[in-house]
Amino acid sequence: MKVELDNIFGRHAARRLSAFAHGELSDAEAARVAEHLRSCATCRAEFDEIKFGIRLAETLPAREAPASLWGGIEASLARDSAPRARRATGARFRSLTTSRLAVVSCALVLLLVGGVAWLHFRPSPGGAWDVSAVAGAPTVGQSRVEKRGRLTVGEWLETDARSRAVLRVADIGEVEIDPGTRLRLVETGQTEHRIELEHGRVSARVAAPPRVFFVDTPSAVAADLGCAYTLEVDGAGRGLLQVTSGWVALEAKGRESKVPAGASCATQPGAPPGTPYFGDATPAFVVALSRFDFAQGGDEALSVVLEEARARDTLTLWHLLARTEASGAGCGRRPAASDDGKQRPSGGARNITGAGRVATGARGVRRRSLL
Amino acid sequence: MEQFAVLTTDERGIGAGVIESCQRGDREAFRALFETYKDRVFSVALYFFGGDDALASDVTQQVFLKLFTRIAQFRHESEFTTWLYRLTTNVCIDEQRRRRRFDPLAAIAPHKTPRARDAAEERVMRGEVACEIASAVAGLKPKLRIAILLKYFEELSYAEIAAALGCSPGTVASRINRGHKILARRLGHLRGTVFHES
Repeated sequence: MKVELDNIFGRHAARRLSAFAHGELSDAEAARVAEHLRSCATCRAEFDEIKFGIRLAETLPAREAPASLWGGIEASLARDSAPRARRATGARFRSLTTSRLAVVSCALVLLLVGGVAWLHFRPSPGGAWDVSAVAGAPTVGQSRVEKRGRLTVGEWLETDARSRAVLRVADIGEVEIDPGTRLRLVETGQTEHRIELEHGRVSARVAAPPRVFFVDTPSAVAADLGCAYTLEVDGAGRGLLQVTSGWVALEAKGRESKVPAGASCATQPGAPPGTPYFGDATPAFVVALSRFDFAQGGDEALSVVLEEARARDTLTLWHLLARTEASGAGCGRRPAASDDGKQRPSGGARNITGAGRVATGARGVRRRSLL
Repeated sequence: MEQFAVLTTDERGIGAGVIESCQRGDREAFRALFETYKDRVFSVALYFFGGDDALASDVTQQVFLKLFTRIAQFRHESEFTTWLYRLTTNVCIDEQRRRRRFDPLAAIAPHKTPRARDAAEERVMRGEVACEIASAVAGLKPKLRIAILLKYFEELSYAEIAAALGCSPGTVASRINRGHKILARRLGHLRGTVFHES
């Protein structure tokens, strides 16, 4: 099937040269392009560039997939097929329709209904939380949670790619657990409830005094200050907090980031928590902030943050103010010593320290030429 | 290009019988399907993510797990390969979105500093030019990148790529054209050395 490109054909043939080189044009169109190329030096130069691009792309070597891949896929398939096998066994069992079996079945059903009702209505004792399977079959330890279950202190709760669960946090709230999540109940008591999120994504809604509910991640601790939020941790232990109401504090390496509703904050293992930012900040602002927080972006990254800051971004600038002060002008720059040995700023008013620049930025947001 | 065996649609694909066996849960059929497509899916994922082997392995596993769990829904209304490459594209783009949310720096295209031309031939021997091209491909916007990868690793026609991406062949032509131009511009220092003018 040849590509019809009449609608994009203008005076030159530039936009269809790759299709021409790949033999994707109809005969008539290919003839028109070939004719055009004979008479147009601009398109001939363009065609040379396209051919060079094609040769570059053709150079990429194909790679063989690692032999170990199938093992992981087969293991996942085996895990998924286990419940199917159980359902098949159940079907065979039901086919033995004797009166004795019917009586036993009724008794089992009654027991099951009673058990479920007891699980649902009993008060939540200390040391364990209720787990409800929302989709698929999450696991607690080695056991699958078909509908409801219990998560005791020290146990791991895991959802696979197609299962979801809701965890009741004693009597103060609940945590929705997305697919692909692994977490552990660390502690639950009168004054503190704590889970460890190894990886995956949870959404917490908690109605309790501040600093009663905590989530430990590989890169920070999220302390609930009375709020709702989503916390996600990837396979490398990096975290991303998004707060939907109230406030959450992220703590690590002796530093705290307070994140309000509408704001996000990233964390990375081995580093203090990142600087919070509002979700509608410009992409350049967010990238520069990440460079400042985690990639030693220093002065250059800070400049971009200040350039891109809006009035709403004072949240970020307020956090940066303390951080640039703490790091000695934020960019590792110290006042230069003059010939007479006295310390003085290394430049004029435009060469102020990082903290000063952030302070200036916080006062004068919307100014686009702070530096 | 020796590694890319130029196969016809019949040769490179698998029979309907294998797909039907997969739909019945036949593990051997799954294995046959995996063996047929694993290298191509892995190569696309590898170059989509700038040569990250571990991530490409993870993405390849995700693609085949989704494929096997959803294959019962495949109704032969489109080519199986179209379905597979749409799945591959979606997994790659979803994974990239997820990674960007965690690490905004991942949004910055990797650029390698061009080195002196006189060492180019030697670098070919060491495979460094391939790395440089892979890096430039990884720096393309995702929509351009996936179109280029489907063209050169899956050897799909523009119409097949359009079906996999859910856009028109004209859009595919435009994306591939832009991809070629960007590669040529970014790797212009290789012109006339490794890639002698023809």
